[in-house]
Amino acid sequence: MKPLLSLEGVGKSYLRGAHRVRVLKDVTLEVGAGQLVAVWGKRGVGKTTLLKIAARLERPDQGTVRFEGVDMAKLREAEHTRLMLERIGWVRRAGPKSDLRMMDYVALPRLAERGRRHAYGLAREALERVGMSECAGQHWGSLSDGERSLVSIAHGIVRAPKLLLVDDPTANLDVIEREQVTQLLRSLADDEGMAVLITVPDMPAVMRAHHIASLSGGRLSTPPQLPEEPLPEDEEEPPGKVIQLRSREQSA
Amino acid sequence: MSAKIAVLGLVIEEPSPAHRLTAKLRQRLSSAEFVDSNVYSALARLEREGLVRAREESSYEATEEGVRHFEQWLFASSSAPPLRDELHMKIALCQPQNLPRMIELVYGQELVCLGRVQELKKSFERIRPPDPSRWSGLVMVMVRDAELAFWESRLGWLQGVRESLENMGAGFQDASRRQREA
Repeated sequence: MKPLLSLEGVGKSYLRGAHRVRVLKDVTLEVGAGQLVAVWGKRGVGKTTLLKIAARLERPDQGTVRFEGVDMAKLREAEHTRLMLERIGWVRRAGPKSDLRMMDYVALPRLAERGRRHAYGLAREALERVGMSECAGQHWGSLSDGERSLVSIAHGIVRAPKLLLVDDPTANLDVIEREQVTQLLRSLADDEGMAVLITVPDMPAVMRAHHIASLSGGRLSTPPQLPEEPLPEDEEEPPGKVIQLRSREQSA
Repeated sequence: MSAKIAVLGLVIEEPSPAHRLTAKLRQRLSSAEFVDSNVYSALARLEREGLVRAREESSYEATEEGVRHFEQWLFASSSAPPLRDELHMKIALCQPQNLPRMIELVYGQELVCLGRVQELKKSFERIRPPDPSRWSGLVMVMVRDAELAFWESRLGWLQGVRESLENMGAGFQDASRRQREA
C-alpha cells in the first residue's frame, strides 16, 4: 500500500547568525492512513520545519515530498491552498488572530464551502469529537493549555482531513491532559483512519504513537526493529498498519 | 533494587500465586529486568524470614511482620542512583583520531535508548491504556514516565555529544584542508 505522505531524501538548512545550520539531512519518512507517527526531539532541532515541509508551507533544499503520490513541489498555489483546506489539517497552537469565539474559529476552514449553517454544524461535531463542546462560546484567552490543544485539533479535523500534522500538541500539559490529547490523536488514526504526524519535545507523549522517531543534528533516527512477539490468544491485533520510516543514513 | 521488596509489595497488594507475581512484576517494573527465577528465590527468602506465608493453592500472603518491613522500606529515604557509565569513561579518554568511531558508538547508544522507549511502548500496548485520573492508572503512568525521563535525558545527552563530536570532526577536516591548500 502506498503511504499517504512520504518524504524522500529531504534536506534543509538555515543561516543562524554567521553559520549555516543543516536542520534536516537526507530525511526519509512515510506515514500511512490509520497511523500515528511521533517525532521526538529537543527544542530547536527542526521538528516544526519538518512538519512545515510536509505541508509545503516551507520548501526543502533537497528531496521530494509526496502527498497521495503527488509531488507537492509541482502543485500550483491554488491547488495547494485547496489541499490545505480540504485534505491536510495543519494544527499549531497559536490560536486565532482575532478575538473569535471557539465555535467561529473551528468553523473557519469550512465557511467558504456551503454556507454558515453547514460550517457551524461541522464545527459543533468537531468540538464534540475532541470533548470541547462546552468551550464553543469561549475565547482563546480564557482557555487552559489543555483546552487550547484540543480546540486546535478540532480546528484541524473540521475539514475531515486525510492527513493531520500537529506541532507540539502536549506542550505545558499536565499528565492527565497529555494522556487525553495523545489518546485523542491515536483514536483519530485508529477510528477515523487519518494519517497523523506529530512532533513532541517530551518522551511520554510518544507512548500512544504507532511509530516513533527522533530528530537531532538533522538526522531522523528510528528504533531498531524488534522481533514481533506473538500476541496472547485472548488479545486482538493492535490497530495500525506497517510503516516504513527510516533515515537513509541509518539504513545504509 | 531487589526483587524481594518488589515481590513483597505485590503480595501485600494482593495475595497471589508465584506465576501471577512474575507476570505482575514484568508488567509493573519492566525496566528492572527481573527474570522469573528472581520471583521464586525472593518468595523463598521472604518465607524463610517470616515476611510472607504460603496459603492454599500455592498462593502467598504477607505476614504482619512483612507489612511492617515493607512500610519501613517505603517510607525510608531513597538513595541516589549510581552514575557510572563505560561510555563516560571512553569519551573522557578518547583522542581526536578516535572521533569517527566515537561518533558511531554514541549514535549506537542513541538507537539503544530509542529501542528501550519502543520496548516500553510495546509493553503498554498490550494492556488497556492507563487512566491517570484514577489512582492505579496514575501510579502506572508515573512509574513509566520515570523510566522515560531517564531515556529522554540520556538520549538528549548523547545527541548533544554526537553533534559536538560531528562539529569538531568537521572543524578538523576544514583545518587540514586549509593546511593542504597553504
